[in-house]
Amino acid sequence: MSDEMEEIRNDFLVESQEMIELLDQRFIILETDPANAELLNEIFRAMHSMKGSAGFLGFTHLVDVTHRAESILNKLRQGDMTVTPQVITAILEAIDVVKLLMADIRESGTDAHVQTEAVSQKLDQVLAGKTGGAAAPTPAPPSTAAPTPAPAAAPTVAETVAKPIPPAEPAGDSAQASTKLGEILINEGAASKEQIIEALDRQEHRPPLGEILVQSQVISEQTLDAALQKQQVKGTRKGEEEQTIRVETRRLDSVMNLVGELVLGRNRMMKIGGGLDQSHENDPLVRELGETLAQLNLVTTDLQLAVMKTRMLPIRKVLSKFPRMVRDLSQKMGKQVRLELQGEETELDKSVADEIGDPLVHLVRNAIDHGLEPVADRQKAGKPIEGIVCISACQEGNSIVIRIEDDGRGLQVEKIKAKALANGVVSEAELAAMDPRQIMNLIFLPGFSTADQVTDVSGRGVGMDVVRTNIRRINGTVEVQSQLGKGSQITIKLPLTIAIIQALLVEVEQATFAIPLGSVVEAVKITRADIKTINGREVLNLRERVLPLLRLTDEFEIQPDVERDKFYVVVAGMGEKQVGVVVDRLRSQEEVVIKSMGDYLSNLKGIAGATITGEGKVVLILDIAELLQDIRMNHLAEVAA
Amino acid sequence: MGTGEIGQGGVVTDAPSETAAQGWGNVHGDEFCQLVTCAVAGEEFAVDILSVQEINRMVEVTRVPKAPAFVEGVINLRGRIIPVLDLRRRFGMTETERTVQSRIVVVNVGGRVVGLVVDSVSEVMRIERRAIEPPPSMGNRPGAEFVQGIGRLHDRLLIVLDLNRLLTPAEQASLDGVKP
Repeated sequence: MSDEMEEIRNDFLVESQEMIELLDQRFIILETDPANAELLNEIFRAMHSMKGSAGFLGFTHLVDVTHRAESILNKLRQGDMTVTPQVITAILEAIDVVKLLMADIRESGTDAHVQTEAVSQKLDQVLAGKTGGAAAPTPAPPSTAAPTPAPAAAPTVAETVAKPIPPAEPAGDSAQASTKLGEILINEGAASKEQIIEALDRQEHRPPLGEILVQSQVISEQTLDAALQKQQVKGTRKGEEEQTIRVETRRLDSVMNLVGELVLGRNRMMKIGGGLDQSHENDPLVRELGETLAQLNLVTTDLQLAVMKTRMLPIRKVLSKFPRMVRDLSQKMGKQVRLELQGEETELDKSVADEIGDPLVHLVRNAIDHGLEPVADRQKAGKPIEGIVCISACQEGNSIVIRIEDDGRGLQVEKIKAKALANGVVSEAELAAMDPRQIMNLIFLPGFSTADQVTDVSGRGVGMDVVRTNIRRINGTVEVQSQLGKGSQITIKLPLTIAIIQALLVEVEQATFAIPLGSVVEAVKITRADIKTINGREVLNLRERVLPLLRLTDEFEIQPDVERDKFYVVVAGMGEKQVGVVVDRLRSQEEVVIKSMGDYLSNLKGIAGATITGEGKVVLILDIAELLQDIRMNHLAEVAA
Repeated sequence: MGTGEIGQGGVVTDAPSETAAQGWGNVHGDEFCQLVTCAVAGEEFAVDILSVQEINRMVEVTRVPKAPAFVEGVINLRGRIIPVLDLRRRFGMTETERTVQSRIVVVNVGGRVVGLVVDSVSEVMRIERRAIEPPPSMGNRPGAEFVQGIGRLHDRLLIVLDLNRLLTPAEQASLDGVKP
């Protein structure tokens, strides 16, 4: 019984979570499009069904808050109240409280630990029309609506816009969007109300409205077609939502794991098949086996892709919270910010999506807080008052690229230099050798913040470091580019999936290691004479560049069998920093499935995980980012000494 | 492939692991328990059969650099990578060459699947609970903290291992501290 209840409760939590995300988004749209009746209805229904489920499960606090919010929405819906920023703020606050209640339910199973009186009071006040923006209860039926082209735009267009202080529109000025053809035509200004009413009169037992309008030459045929298309789009949207089923992530994970096994098994079979092919060239059975293997190979690859796709989410899921966040932040900071979202349909693996949310929040906060100038400064610089923050996502080859751009003040290279010197993260000599781009990327080092003032939004100097650490954890890279006075652009590159990667297998003495191909730049063959030492550290002079070397025998304390004379150097790097990993042999390039080694071997420095090769051997995967950091630490220690 | 395999590295909810987590002492109502006995450096050790997932022949162990000293390495257990502990090293005994008798006993230690390298596995035996006595004070002898009790069986003495303590909290902390 209790299990059943828990299941119901979990379902409720998942559903409500989605609804809240939807509500957050919808409210922001509503603020810019206050007359959108369809939107209001959608919001009302979501709130209503949340209230219903909460009541069924006995969460009285939740019912209390949602009921009040619902009452306000009902009034808005029926036109007894107008949408003003104040009303929206009150309801958004209520949603915040609902989020707290949800968290409480998730943790304790009840909603009794959250104070709801304050927000309830506030909602009651709004309901009674006591806030500043309270409007006279003048109903605004569509018939009195004057044509207003802009606010009636479709939700998808308005979705990307969040203005801090939108112009409050008087109730009578707005048109109600509707699915009725006549109303669409009035809204578009294609026909007047009187013309429609006249046509409606004639419609009794006669051809459809559109045709009559065309016949009486009120509208052209093109206008009718466009309007009819619009009517269809609005009507069909509901049906699409039912084409999905909810699957627990855990189940998908286990399918993914099994496919990973299958890929490893396939790789092994291919190797065995290849061996047989050479030894028993003329055996017809072997040839048949070869054909079967080729087929298996194809199917496995397709299956792998298909399973990967089931785990893909549109990045919209991650970005949906940003309009709300930007709205709140810009109000708090007294800046006007327009958030633009592009490529929301770009898909990425759920595990990547889960990890990327926090870094993005950091970066967008930074862009608004540090990047965009205060209004006065923008005016002085001749820029529009409204600052723009743009988040765009797209797929480039095997990676997802997310860019966060702002049109703010840009990074001040001199300031970063001074700060870097003061913090001792670089030496004068090192700085002199760096180009501006490298200097800008110093902001990702620990303990770095150039903001003169620490606000509660950002500026503590932990942000960028954490951002980079989080992104690296999912094998991604992050880079900043900036133009003083024009703005900054932060580029995040993420792998399509983090479970299966291409890797270069290398051998050192008896051990085999895998280096993620994403971080491999090139491999070169050298002899011992090519290795030079600077300050006691081994380096390689590669095309006029000094490349620090890392010997895995030293790093991992592997005993060398014999003194070798020939080596391979795998040049690996993350962004600007590179290191040459010295190995004995290059073995092959293989697709590997990253596996955890269990929780008590998960924190080893320089090792990202392990995988199983085609031969069934366990091979460790190197963590290039960490090895790079290691090198850097050693280097700094020497500089300090 | 058993159900415990599917949730790679996830929570294993099989009955054995839960039993192991609670200690085997008073879970089963009956008076008998079954033990797997194995030899390590001439001594006879025993583990509760409910925590043993399987017993395998020695396979190639991949050494893991920077791992704690008693972790021998990792092995491929049908597509799952699990750590392997060498009991000789764990108990501070002298190490020897592996023989054909060497086995990897795969156990569930507090929900974790871990392989234990032993010199040989002898048998599965039923033993009366009463016959297992609390461990005598062994002072600071290495390995003493992992002993759950001593089983007396005719003229044999079995050292019954406490698998939950094989990775003690203190050790856990030191493992977590591997990466600063």
